[in-house]
Amino acid sequence: MGIDTENQEIENNIKKISLNLFKENKVDLIIGYKKGTLPLMAQPIIIDKEEDVDKLVWNNLCYVNLAKYLVPRIPKFVDAEKGNLRVGVVSKGCVGRALIHLASEKQLNLEEIKIIGFSCNGVINRQRIEQEIGQKEIREVFVKDDKIHVKGKDFELSFPYEEYLNELCKVCKVKSPPITAELSDVCVGECQEYSSISDDFNDVSDFELKTAEEKWEYVKNSLDICTRCYACREACPMCYCNLCFVDQNKPVWFGKTTDTSDIMVFHLIRAMHMAGRCVGCGACSSVCPVGIDLYLINRKLEEIVKRRYEFTSGLDPKILPPMMSYEMEESEEFMLEED
Amino acid sequence: MEKVGAVMVVGAGIGGSQTSLDLADSGYKVYLIESSTSIGGVMAQLDKTFPTNDCAMCIVSPKLVETGRHQNIDLSINCVIEDVSGEAGNFIVKVRKKSLFINPDKCTGCGVCGRECPIEAIDIFNEKLAKYGATSVKYPQAVPLLYAINREVCIGCGICYGVCKAKAVEYDREDEVVDINVGAVVLSPGFDEFIPEEANLYGYGKYKNVVTSIEFERILSASGPYSGRVLRPSDGDIPEKVAFLQCIGSRDYSGVGKPYCSSVCCMYTAKEAVIAHEHMHQIKPTIFSMDVRAYGKDFDKYIIRAQKQYGVQYIRSRVSSIKEVPETKDLRLKYETQDGKIIEEDFHMVVLAVGLNPPDDAKYLAEKFGVELNQYDFAKTDLLNPVQTTKPGIFACGAFSSPKDIPDTVTQASAAAGCVNQLLYEKKGTLITEKSLPPEIFVRGQPPRIGVFICHCGINIGGFLDVPEVTRYAKTLPNVVMSDRNLYTCSADTQTIIKEKVQEYNLNRVIVASCTPRTHEPLFQETIREAGLNRYLFQMANIRDQCSWVHMNDWEAATNKAKDLVRMAVNKARQIEPIERIKLSVTPKALVVGGGISGMVAALNFASQEYETYLVEKEKELGGFAKHIYHTLEGADIQVYVKELIDKIKANKNIHVFTEAQMENIDGYIGNFKSSVIHGEKKERTEFSHGVVVVATGAKEYQPKEFLFGQNENVILQSEFERLLNETDQIKNKKSIVMIQCVGSRNDEHPYCSKMCCAEAIKNALLAKELNPDLEVTILFRDIRTYGFKEQYYRKAREAGVIFIQYDENNPPKINSDLKVEVLTPRNDKIYISTDWLVLSAGIYSDREENEELAKMLKIPLNDDSFFLEAHVKLRPVDFATEGVFIAGIAHCPKTIEDSISQANAAVSRACTILSKDEIEAEGKTARIDITRCIGCGMCIENCAYNAIELVDDRRFGTVASINQVLCKGCGACSGNCRCSAIDILGFTGEQIFEMITGRI
Amino acid sequence: MTVQTEESKSSNEDWKPKIIAFLCNWCSYAGADLAGVSRIQYPPSIRIVRVPCSGRVNPYFIIKSLTDGWDGVLISGCHPGDCHYLTGNLVARRRFAILNELLQFFGIEPGRVNFMWASAAEGERFAMLVRKATSIVKKLGPNNKFEKKW
Repeated sequence: MGIDTENQEIENNIKKISLNLFKENKVDLIIGYKKGTLPLMAQPIIIDKEEDVDKLVWNNLCYVNLAKYLVPRIPKFVDAEKGNLRVGVVSKGCVGRALIHLASEKQLNLEEIKIIGFSCNGVINRQRIEQEIGQKEIREVFVKDDKIHVKGKDFELSFPYEEYLNELCKVCKVKSPPITAELSDVCVGECQEYSSISDDFNDVSDFELKTAEEKWEYVKNSLDICTRCYACREACPMCYCNLCFVDQNKPVWFGKTTDTSDIMVFHLIRAMHMAGRCVGCGACSSVCPVGIDLYLINRKLEEIVKRRYEFTSGLDPKILPPMMSYEMEESEEFMLEED
Repeated sequence: MEKVGAVMVVGAGIGGSQTSLDLADSGYKVYLIESSTSIGGVMAQLDKTFPTNDCAMCIVSPKLVETGRHQNIDLSINCVIEDVSGEAGNFIVKVRKKSLFINPDKCTGCGVCGRECPIEAIDIFNEKLAKYGATSVKYPQAVPLLYAINREVCIGCGICYGVCKAKAVEYDREDEVVDINVGAVVLSPGFDEFIPEEANLYGYGKYKNVVTSIEFERILSASGPYSGRVLRPSDGDIPEKVAFLQCIGSRDYSGVGKPYCSSVCCMYTAKEAVIAHEHMHQIKPTIFSMDVRAYGKDFDKYIIRAQKQYGVQYIRSRVSSIKEVPETKDLRLKYETQDGKIIEEDFHMVVLAVGLNPPDDAKYLAEKFGVELNQYDFAKTDLLNPVQTTKPGIFACGAFSSPKDIPDTVTQASAAAGCVNQLLYEKKGTLITEKSLPPEIFVRGQPPRIGVFICHCGINIGGFLDVPEVTRYAKTLPNVVMSDRNLYTCSADTQTIIKEKVQEYNLNRVIVASCTPRTHEPLFQETIREAGLNRYLFQMANIRDQCSWVHMNDWEAATNKAKDLVRMAVNKARQIEPIERIKLSVTPKALVVGGGISGMVAALNFASQEYETYLVEKEKELGGFAKHIYHTLEGADIQVYVKELIDKIKANKNIHVFTEAQMENIDGYIGNFKSSVIHGEKKERTEFSHGVVVVATGAKEYQPKEFLFGQNENVILQSEFERLLNETDQIKNKKSIVMIQCVGSRNDEHPYCSKMCCAEAIKNALLAKELNPDLEVTILFRDIRTYGFKEQYYRKAREAGVIFIQYDENNPPKINSDLKVEVLTPRNDKIYISTDWLVLSAGIYSDREENEELAKMLKIPLNDDSFFLEAHVKLRPVDFATEGVFIAGIAHCPKTIEDSISQANAAVSRACTILSKDEIEAEGKTARIDITRCIGCGMCIENCAYNAIELVDDRRFGTVASINQVLCKGCGACSGNCRCSAIDILGFTGEQIFEMITGRI
Repeated sequence: MTVQTEESKSSNEDWKPKIIAFLCNWCSYAGADLAGVSRIQYPPSIRIVRVPCSGRVNPYFIIKSLTDGWDGVLISGCHPGDCHYLTGNLVARRRFAILNELLQFFGIEPGRVNFMWASAAEGERFAMLVRKATSIVKKLGPNNKFEKKW
């Protein structure tokens, strides 16, 4: 089955489930993706009636993590009289994870949510396509026969789908939203139970072989172009602080400049804040205007909490994230000891 | 006669000071009467204290300052008791306040008179080794800081009168005689050390290099004659070989000294040896002793450390003679080793560990107050209540009743206060005045004006880094408007200076660069509060414990580091703001966990003061381990005593007894606990509120695995032996009994002494001998630790024919199935003894699991041996770091019944300082939340160990965290993880720490 | 900012690193006091910041110390089970474990930031670990990764 057929099936399923949810009056709104006005990007859409269901699409250009619209809830999702509206969220695996993790951080009540799940077949690495195309204007992008077809004014190029997937999608182990016994009412559509996820994290261990100097240089070189526009923060469903640490005063802990030092610190602390929380959706990288791929950092975060605390974010709202819990006996190999 | 809510405390050493503070804090007016010219007693003369090697002056000084400035304590020095009349509840004491010839109200303690006085007089404090003028205070940190003229040597030249700017010198100033009306009296005159007579066999007074332990203590002290260097008096050389001779004037039946054991010499000698070696590594101490009596909490560990870590050598022998080698002034010691060799050895210096005598004025005081003394001229006290003298209403504490160390003295001091409470509780608060503090100066929003006070700490800081340079440097820092240095910033006179400087320079932040805030912050905070500043407008830079003392050989680096530390403190100080402390109400009820003797005594004391008390006992019956004890060594009948206690408790309507009970939960905090207990056969659950907790859970007897115990029925424990002696006549047909001491004590697993076993063994041996005079009793021991007056029973046992054989830890006695005991004597002879009963003196073990559970509930610590760990081993022996929780009895460490009773009364006294108040102030350094930043993720809730945080709905900001200021302990676990920086910890705010980090340059 | 240059790092054997140490009030700070009371000597490299508990130590403190030019950072709390605040050190341990990995991921040398436990009774251990941390940082040389170009 080709990717295009798969996409069609996914899209049909989403539409079918959404229609039922409206019909059975289980949701007031559904948030999903629609065809974008830009060729290389799908757009979020909020629908509140059956007839709009047809606008929903799935096309491997749906980078946005829709959970972002629920923290805080955009005004459209709140009714002056009814309070929080019941929202169905079209959920690829990482959107489902984000919703579940946000519930463990008390940011949303899953009883008001329907996770409209499907088995995601990945999103395109937009950055890479754009780099390949260069300055030329892209008019149309579609996936057909395991190829990504990019059409412009006087060109048409195609790229192998698997290779030009988002890096995180390539190693994704949670394609469908997770479901647990308690969430049977919340997760509709294609969801999956994950008892334990096995991942060798080879990509991360390869990087770990580098010396400190090499790592510093590598990370520095990949981040150096950061303009600190904070698009990554804005796209991230886990970045929902009222006041981000970079904007805090009293004291101003860290510089706001684009000096290497300040950039490194920004990404270091943002990573620290993501520990045990990142759901690996890659939205941060997809939206970066200068093409920084935070993929390795995100993978490292998953790897740390998996190895140390047997934790994968967003699988079960009942399990406390690592920064919210502790054990008496834990590995302390990193601590200074007498010789 | 109506009772009076005032108490007189006679003697202002550490004991008298503690009693005074407890009583003053509980709402009594205290008249503290001291015969010398400053308070602090012997402890103020000590260099370090065992077993922690804490600097004695450093830990006692804040307490003395507090005593000297407490609103409810009326301190009079240079006093004599002239007459006493009245009875318990209402005494009139005539006190003569002898003239100092200097007006105490005018004297500022500036010391000009002392420096100008042309006459040299002997200074009491430095033990004859240094000289000062006739007008002198005792020592630079004296409380109160007043000068006095010694008229015996004064020649009346008038110079001091001329130089005194304060016009305080009054040669014709007369004594003042006052009648003081009090409800009770606590006698704590301390002790005098035994002074060997001149030309006795140790050559003290004849040979310059033979000094007493107290003189040596002064030599060790930084404020002593050689500024802390250990030098011998004859030529100022470093004495490499120093011999310490134990039991000088103690355990002495020759008539020269005293027959009793002075209790403290073994430990203070070990300490002096360790400190001497620490001060000067060349010094190799050798200690000559009979038994090493390290019977207190963690004492044995100290002795082991002294040997292993500091190379202190122990020789078990009594030195027979000392001769000076005329050319070198070295001393030739002659002694017999344990295997019978006579040895002559030269030492550079000899320290005589002199014993404790009753105070010189013991007889005088006893006569005036109408209390009896015992055969050794110490105060005679009740067999089971060691603070009760023979006269009701008059109590004794500290070394006045028997030789004892500091923690025991402090415990007794509080115990005496506890007994006073029992007598006078209804008059509490009738004669006191509220401490009037000036209103707080409003400083918010004003530019910081920082004053820095830098301490020389004698030579402790000034000797290792450039204090003047640090002082100059501090002055250059932004917002620092003054910097000054002091010999001792903690002394009473400096407190006055600080207050003056606050006014003079309009300071709104104060920094002290000295020792550690852990001991001294409260003192300075109190000082600046008295100067009108919020007590949190204070910072300390630790330039002693964490600088001068650890970089003693690098003057420049230490100076630079001190500058950095001062700068970091200044940086932080710029950011500090006043903190308001919240006030809490107090539930005037007590919870006592444990229904043994300690618990029952505590409960009865609370109840007799009309505090409702909950007594929780895990067994079916009250009584605890004491049920197995028949008499004390001194002859008190424990069975009768326990029965009386139980009857009194059952009859007291203020006490709720829960038996077969276990604490389910203890929630809350000082003054406001809420607990639940599961009790009775039916496991009922009861909830109640209370303001304090006394932990008196006791301990258990070790069940030995060694010496065939449990395999041979004639191998029995000391407690079972006691039962057999008291309940049966089986002893009559026995021929031989062998006892083995230290079973399960003082080994690698349990490296502590169980303290009671020696006395128990001797008690039972004496009784067995009495019941069957033909019985052969052999006690196999490592050290016989019959400290204090218990020594007489040791001698009595020897006289009665009890055989004592010492064995070595590494060669314990062996036993075969016919109960034939093989023991290797110190002379390496093997001896075989057949025995009918082998009696094991099993050690006292803590109940680890039980203690851990309670420790967790109360948030209190345990030591390595799972006994509860008090707040401070020297000066807070019944308190925990967790406020409102106190310890009594053998849950703290093995101790005698009398001591347990004392500690129970002491715990009550400490608790009464809380229960007697309607409200108490909470700590101010807690977590605060900025709800505009909080996103209500709940991480802080999960990370808070005290359940102090919950999510609440805020009208403006939605779901946000809310912190209970009273439950919050200010640890900051919540803040450290908060991504939004919504939580800050007052006193350790992000901004303050930021400033310290960035203050690097 | 007075960060030494690479040149002086290699040539200067006498270079003394400056290490900021965040010590919990109840165990490690007391342990440091005990080292003092016991007169145990250790290098004059550390500058101690007293915090109530290792749980108080926010990653910001550590990272800020690095960006501000401290050559090393030392964080010490009570041993697990000893925490005066029961579990503050356990909360801290997870935080430090993760932070430590991230620091190294970003290329901060292992040993630039050190975490340790020391009790109030461990003056000896405290001094010994300070010696060790100092020698590690000394080997690493001055911390100039975060030196700003402008």
